[in-house]
Amino acid sequence: MSDTLIFSPKPDRPAPAESVGLIGWLRGNLFKDVPNALMTILGAYIAFVVLSWVLNWAIFNAVWEAESRRECLDMVGRSGACWPGVGVWFENMIYGLYPKDKVWRINLGFAVLIAWMIPLWMPKVQSKVAIGLSAVLIYPFLASYFFLGGDKSILWTALISLSLTVFVWVWATALSETFIGKSVGEVVVDKAGARNADEQRQRLIKRGVALVVFLVAVLLVNEWALEEVRTRVWGGLFLTLVISGIGITFSLPAGILLALGRRSDMPVISMLCTAFIELFRSVPLITILFMFNTMLPLFMPQGVEVDQLLRAIVAVCLFAAAYMAEVIRGGLQAIPKGQFEAAASLGLGYWQTTTQIVLPQALKIMIPTIVGNFIGLFKDTTLVSIIGLFDLMNMARAVGEDTTWLGLFIEPFFAVTMIYFVFCFAMSSYSMRLERKLATGRDR
Amino acid sequence: MSAEKRTKMIEVVGLNKWFGQFHVLKDIDLVVRDGEKIVICGPSGSGKSTLIRCINQLEHHQEGDILVGGVPVEKKGGNVREIRAQVGMVFQSFNLFPHITVLENCTLTPQLGLQMPKAEAEEIAMKHLTRVGIDDQALKYPLQLSGGQQQRVAIARALTMQPKIMLFDEPTSALDPEMIKEVLDVMVELAEEGMTMICVTHEMGFARQVADEVIFMDQGEIVEAGPPESFFANPRFDRSQQFLAHVM
Amino acid sequence: MALSTEAATPKSSPSNPLSRMWRDARIRAIILQVLTLVGVIAFFGWLVMNTAYNLSQRNMSAGFGFLDVSAGFGIGFTLVEYQEGDSYLRVFYVGILNTLLVAVVAIFLATVLGLIVGLARLSDNWLIGKIARCYVELLRNTPLLLQIIAWYFGVFNLLPRPKQSIELAEGFVLNNRGFYLPAPVPEAGFNIVLITFAAAVIFAIGLYRWSTVRLDKTGKAFPAISTGLAVIIGAPLAIHLALGAPLGWDIPVLKGFNFTGGTSVPPSFCALIVALSAYTSCFIAEIVRAGIQSVSKGQLEAAGALNLPPNWTLRRVVMPQALRVIIPPLISQYLNVTKNSSLAIAIGFPDLVSVWMNTSLNQSGRAIPIVAMTMAFYCLVSLSVSFVMNYYNKRALLKER
Repeated sequence: MSDTLIFSPKPDRPAPAESVGLIGWLRGNLFKDVPNALMTILGAYIAFVVLSWVLNWAIFNAVWEAESRRECLDMVGRSGACWPGVGVWFENMIYGLYPKDKVWRINLGFAVLIAWMIPLWMPKVQSKVAIGLSAVLIYPFLASYFFLGGDKSILWTALISLSLTVFVWVWATALSETFIGKSVGEVVVDKAGARNADEQRQRLIKRGVALVVFLVAVLLVNEWALEEVRTRVWGGLFLTLVISGIGITFSLPAGILLALGRRSDMPVISMLCTAFIELFRSVPLITILFMFNTMLPLFMPQGVEVDQLLRAIVAVCLFAAAYMAEVIRGGLQAIPKGQFEAAASLGLGYWQTTTQIVLPQALKIMIPTIVGNFIGLFKDTTLVSIIGLFDLMNMARAVGEDTTWLGLFIEPFFAVTMIYFVFCFAMSSYSMRLERKLATGRDR
Repeated sequence: MSAEKRTKMIEVVGLNKWFGQFHVLKDIDLVVRDGEKIVICGPSGSGKSTLIRCINQLEHHQEGDILVGGVPVEKKGGNVREIRAQVGMVFQSFNLFPHITVLENCTLTPQLGLQMPKAEAEEIAMKHLTRVGIDDQALKYPLQLSGGQQQRVAIARALTMQPKIMLFDEPTSALDPEMIKEVLDVMVELAEEGMTMICVTHEMGFARQVADEVIFMDQGEIVEAGPPESFFANPRFDRSQQFLAHVM
Repeated sequence: MALSTEAATPKSSPSNPLSRMWRDARIRAIILQVLTLVGVIAFFGWLVMNTAYNLSQRNMSAGFGFLDVSAGFGIGFTLVEYQEGDSYLRVFYVGILNTLLVAVVAIFLATVLGLIVGLARLSDNWLIGKIARCYVELLRNTPLLLQIIAWYFGVFNLLPRPKQSIELAEGFVLNNRGFYLPAPVPEAGFNIVLITFAAAVIFAIGLYRWSTVRLDKTGKAFPAISTGLAVIIGAPLAIHLALGAPLGWDIPVLKGFNFTGGTSVPPSFCALIVALSAYTSCFIAEIVRAGIQSVSKGQLEAAGALNLPPNWTLRRVVMPQALRVIIPPLISQYLNVTKNSSLAIAIGFPDLVSVWMNTSLNQSGRAIPIVAMTMAFYCLVSLSVSFVMNYYNKRALLKER
């Protein structure tokens, strides 16, 4: 037997210059052959023309200070944008005709929402699901009072106080889980010196503390009086966010119920759900909005007035729920049969199987589609302008109907297009990132 | 007939290939003569698949020369069809066309590539399907068959090209153990009929049985090459020993 | 599916009969369903009662009797003859035709555009791919209604007056009154051209059949598609010229303040079509891209290794597999176009929703029948589309074990 030779690999040589680096990249991606090079030149030309036209119009030739559209036209004609009109109307495009001295309430309302959701991005927080759910289910009571104001009934006072209490819990949880590494409840029990007490006593202490916070909140809320702002003056981006926010919040649970109903073995339930879903999916949203706008007053008993915003919201919610139901059904269908059988073999009942095993998986695989649906809903809220609500888009159109800025359409449309784009693109990029993350999770 | 007199079916001289900056194949030289059976083995990532994919131009190389049946491969792919006409290939993942029947998979090339009448194409297809033992499944769709059956169809399909050389790219790696044998049996039979073959495979039993030469590759290089008897009994390099210890 | 309430079978022997019944899943299911049904019926009954009361209070009726009453308003753009005195039923018909016109034109343009953009997205040219991506992201991330309104108020409404019209080509005129184009006027002998055309189509189909038979028999391919197209276009054209061009063109001309002659569509139609087809083309582009990408690299490599000629690889390997993935979402995009054409109302184009659900409803006050008829139309369209889709899906299912 001969001696073993040691294999020593040859050192890597750098790739030939024409296949890597800048030149290689250019060759591979822009100038592979003559037609490819021609395409590149054509594309560069188109990009140049479009970009230079847009930049010239929007920035270099634009008018930034003027009193009226006439003045703008006298200065640059149509070759440059007339931004002052947009500037004057900008506040309306964001808040609608909401009284200027009360706009802080909208800002505060959204600030609270953001504060509510910040713990979701804090890495050490454990109770993210509960916090997320509370933001969706509990926050709206507080927000509705911020936005609407007016007289509070006892029930509403209680709900607003509950909302405040939960908000306190959210941040207490976030802080204690981040810095102490325990849940709020445990911290409270520790402070009360009852760490070794029995479970019942511990629970009593936790509930007591929650009750105290709640009562303090009730006292505060009772003292707190905000003047009523009618929904008629709501508008702009604010209205768009309210309608789409409610639509998104409502559509997910309603869609889940409808999807489960459609797949149920009970023929009556499944037929009713199918009929609802198919009806709402087969007609355009605008016809549903029209229907609710004209027919809801007919359907209601004498003397019951339904606010126009509410009609639009009901229409949007039902429409969104029908679409969401089909997305969720798609997710449910993708769950392998074995999962159901496994759950049945564990002796789990229908609701346990559904909520603990099937739904989490179905929702997870459908996240990109669900977010896509949210984006669609957000874009579709523009349709409320057709039944006379002044959402972001309709506010932009109103600029061109203002006598001082008569005919100023392109600039405000350009501005709101940017706003819509930022929102939608952010959502879709986030969902794509999530999708990639989930995909790698599956591969492992 | 002495080995040196047989025609060179494939000749690779000084082949170098990079994926981006990654040097996958380093100075590869290889000669395959008519009727020879070569088995290429080596750890994953050693460049063995890339090497045979360069031969029928599924990958393009940057340096060196490849001659197939005496015809030099043009680096920019000018004579791809001329080269590929001589070479059949079987893939790890079968790559059958799922939307047409097994028979249609096998008549595609004779009918549309070699421009035969349909009847004649079907005759050839059935001949090869019978040879791999799938003739009774000819009217089924690929996904209705088991993995082993699919791979046998893929072999039959490659044979319908009437190639002079067959390349096998890990043909049994995606198969369940009980199906490996049926595919290997077909390959052995093919070898016995005198087909020139290059097989990338880890099936050492197959290599022992049919190979004229076993080539061991690592990190983009041919570490050692030799007849199976000496390679298996007496590997000369540390890397080959480790590898054999691992797969045997 | 295994989603069954029957999984929960009675565990212990219950004390009273009511709770025993509740534990039996089958009985529970029946009770639940009956309760739901009663609830739904009660809800609808309540709605019907309220509505009946409200209608009687306002002296309105829910019947369809108004359909043959004269509508008494004009419609800006119609495909068929329509006068102010025509009945509501006629208005409904006009609305449907306008909706279908928008849908068909937009679908055609969106498909062509979407195909081009989708292929551009897949281009191995980096710049072209990026430009196509920007186009798609920009258009699909902004609301369609905003795009329609922006095209209308920002472009088509701001076009110059008829006197300063933009003439795109001889007889194709664009101004703030709309888009004017020549109308064909058949003259004596044009029938012969039409007959030739029909004959050419039949010939081309025959040629295609013959070429497939010949391919099977001899293995020789014949370029039947290109030859057929050449015959379909060439033969009628040749006869047309031989007969001395018996098709006149009524070209729009400026008379006084406006163009007369030819045919025209209003600016709202142009805005609607441009916005709708551009918006939909993004979705179609993504569908095309996904479809082509769904054909795995392995399939192309196998076709390459089998030495299949590139055009046959496209026709026999890539297209059939890509189309399976493309067609279902494509059809649902077509349905979306039809539904989205209802946004015409925002810029006053007289489609079904605008002319029927808005104008007619306001004029006649018959909310219930009008809403019902509109919904019925859209439901009918969706139903027929899903019928086609189910048929296709059943046919295209990959046969697996």
